[in-house]
Amino acid sequence: MVREEFLVISRKSVEHLRAAIFIRDLKAESDHEAIRKMLDSLGGSPQVKDLESLSAAVFERQETEPPLFPGGIAFPHARTDSVSALVMVFATCKEAILFGTTRVRLIFLIGVPKHAGAEYLEIISFLARHVRGERAVDRLMEATDLSSFLAAFAEPNG
Amino acid sequence: MDNAEEDTQKRRLSPLFRRLLKIKVWLVDRFRLSERQITLIWAAFVGVLGACASESFREASSLLHYAATGSDSGIITSFEHLPWWQRLAVPAIGGLLAGLTLWLGNRLFSSVRQKTTTDYMEAIVVGSGNISVRASIVKSLSALFSISTGTSIGREGPLVQLSSLVASLVARMRNFPIPQRRHLVACGAAAGIASAYNAPIAASFFVAEIILGTVVVESLGPIILASVVAAFTSQFLHGAEPLYKSPGFNLHTQWEMIPLSCVGIVLGFVAPAYLRLLRLAERLFSKIEMPVPLKLALGGAIVGLLAIYNPAVCGNGQGLLRSLFHQGWFWDEILAILLLKLIATATAFGSGVVGGVFTPTLFTGAAIGMLYGQAVLYSAPWLRSDPAMYGLVGMGAFIAATTGAPLMGILMAFELTLDYALAPFLMVNCVVAYYCSSIFERRFMYGESLERKGAAFFNQQLAEMNIRDLVRINPITLPKNATFAQIAETFVQHRFQHIYITDKESRLLGAVSLHDVKTFLDRPELETVVIAADIMNEDFPRVSPRQGMSEALHKFSEANSERLPVVDDLSSQRLIGSISKTDIILHLAGDQKR
Repeated sequence: MVREEFLVISRKSVEHLRAAIFIRDLKAESDHEAIRKMLDSLGGSPQVKDLESLSAAVFERQETEPPLFPGGIAFPHARTDSVSALVMVFATCKEAILFGTTRVRLIFLIGVPKHAGAEYLEIISFLARHVRGERAVDRLMEATDLSSFLAAFAEPNG
Repeated sequence: MDNAEEDTQKRRLSPLFRRLLKIKVWLVDRFRLSERQITLIWAAFVGVLGACASESFREASSLLHYAATGSDSGIITSFEHLPWWQRLAVPAIGGLLAGLTLWLGNRLFSSVRQKTTTDYMEAIVVGSGNISVRASIVKSLSALFSISTGTSIGREGPLVQLSSLVASLVARMRNFPIPQRRHLVACGAAAGIASAYNAPIAASFFVAEIILGTVVVESLGPIILASVVAAFTSQFLHGAEPLYKSPGFNLHTQWEMIPLSCVGIVLGFVAPAYLRLLRLAERLFSKIEMPVPLKLALGGAIVGLLAIYNPAVCGNGQGLLRSLFHQGWFWDEILAILLLKLIATATAFGSGVVGGVFTPTLFTGAAIGMLYGQAVLYSAPWLRSDPAMYGLVGMGAFIAATTGAPLMGILMAFELTLDYALAPFLMVNCVVAYYCSSIFERRFMYGESLERKGAAFFNQQLAEMNIRDLVRINPITLPKNATFAQIAETFVQHRFQHIYITDKESRLLGAVSLHDVKTFLDRPELETVVIAADIMNEDFPRVSPRQGMSEALHKFSEANSERLPVVDDLSSQRLIGSISKTDIILHLAGDQKR
């Protein structure tokens, strides 16, 4: 059943997940610093056409309405043409980082080209659905690399 | 019993009165006239008026013809008795007067901006059903000069124009809504054709098949009634004979069915060439730079020159048709008059003479059919073919092939001759001719004109339409931080395809499309994570009231949306409302009330 749920997303989205950058135990004093570090990790990515624009778009979106999910999960993201394809950076934080007043342990940074609205909703929906519950977050927090992080998605929520 | 009670008793209805009231209500309910029945009554009235208008034109034409030639015989006979210089001068002067009428009419009335049209086809198909009185009179007067002085053009044009004008005036006086008004003008057109050819069924199908493009009982009923009434009125005024009474044909051998069934193939392939000849003449005359009166005079002079050689080229060809069917013509005589008549008709048509080419086309079809019949007679004398029979079948087949209306062709040829024996051959040949013609020709005789007028009317409507008049204010909007839950809720509550996203100053930021989010509407996990700003299309097309309607339609094609946001100014982007495709279509269709 869980496998099936994993398979409901498109092959393209699976590829995006597999191409994501994983940062284990991200340390930062603030949400801004955490996002900045994650954005910096995208520096060499061929999909990122303009890192500065991407950063500006992400921070602007944070100012509008910080996308937070119950359980200490943040989804900083932006739809911008400064990326040519969907890019993602996942980060686990052993020491929770304050995003406003929310203590965040998992961060999913996503950059989406403007034309890829459906892909964006699909990925966000997939991620948000799989991080519901304390056990799911714990499993993801235990991941040591991208493959173990993604494998945690394939396990039942709890 | 006190006074008050007595009063109440008096006011109470008696049983008899109540019964009478019940009967009255029943009668009113049963016999209340619906819109259709009212249209039917007015259609009959229009039939009478249309026939009278046509008859008046005929009389006026005869009078003017007498004044021009000093003869009250038919056009061909009159011209036969004229000296050569008069044969040349009469059509040329007629053309000049016809042109001057058009020129003067144009000068006098062009400044008057009218919500009317001069063309009955346009009024029926794309217009409001209002035909301009002044322009119709100018056109009819111009046609009167041309027709009565021998130009080779049909008089069915002005007859139908006048009859349609009468119908339009009746509809306007009764203040009928636009669809009913158009319908009544269609009845008027049918009445004009029916009285011109004494062919009510063909007239009905002419209007239905060629102008309306549909043979639907609901619209056909009043049209048939108007045609029949018009034909009866015309018969009452000048006899009930069919125009070209058939002498009664018989097949001497069943083998003749083979060549007789092939008339349609020949005429079907000739028809596109005939249509191209008319268009070529139109193009050639359009290249000649001279005032309209001189152009029409030139057209008349060319017909006059041909008339010096053979006066039979004059007129619409009706007399020639009669002669063709009832006198034995040799093939070389038929060929010669056919060629001359083709030049005369193309010249008249090309020079811009007001009139029709229906009767000249009937003649062309009949002449080609007869030539084919002569060929059959010479090549297979044992068939003992009568070329006139081929001529009659050819007449129907050619009109079907040139107008693209086979049903009307069958009925017209049948009604003109009233020979039932010909009916099966007419049916086969009209259909075959139409299909053969369709291989090479897509623009039939009246279709092209309608197409042009339809496009012109549409463009004019578009140019006159104002976005501001069609804006619906207070569209559904959301702020850019509206959650996905709010977006989903709004889509559920309102049946719109797009929700406009605005900022605090009502500036349009973009639009969220239902198409983009519909598969995710049931995902609760998105409700707080996604907001309008994440999924809106910032480049969603928008219009401003300052833009033209054609620009708006262009934007609609980009947006693939039923509505477009309207901003006060493309620089300030302040949303003032929305405009919908449906409202534009209703407006184009003439519905001013929203």
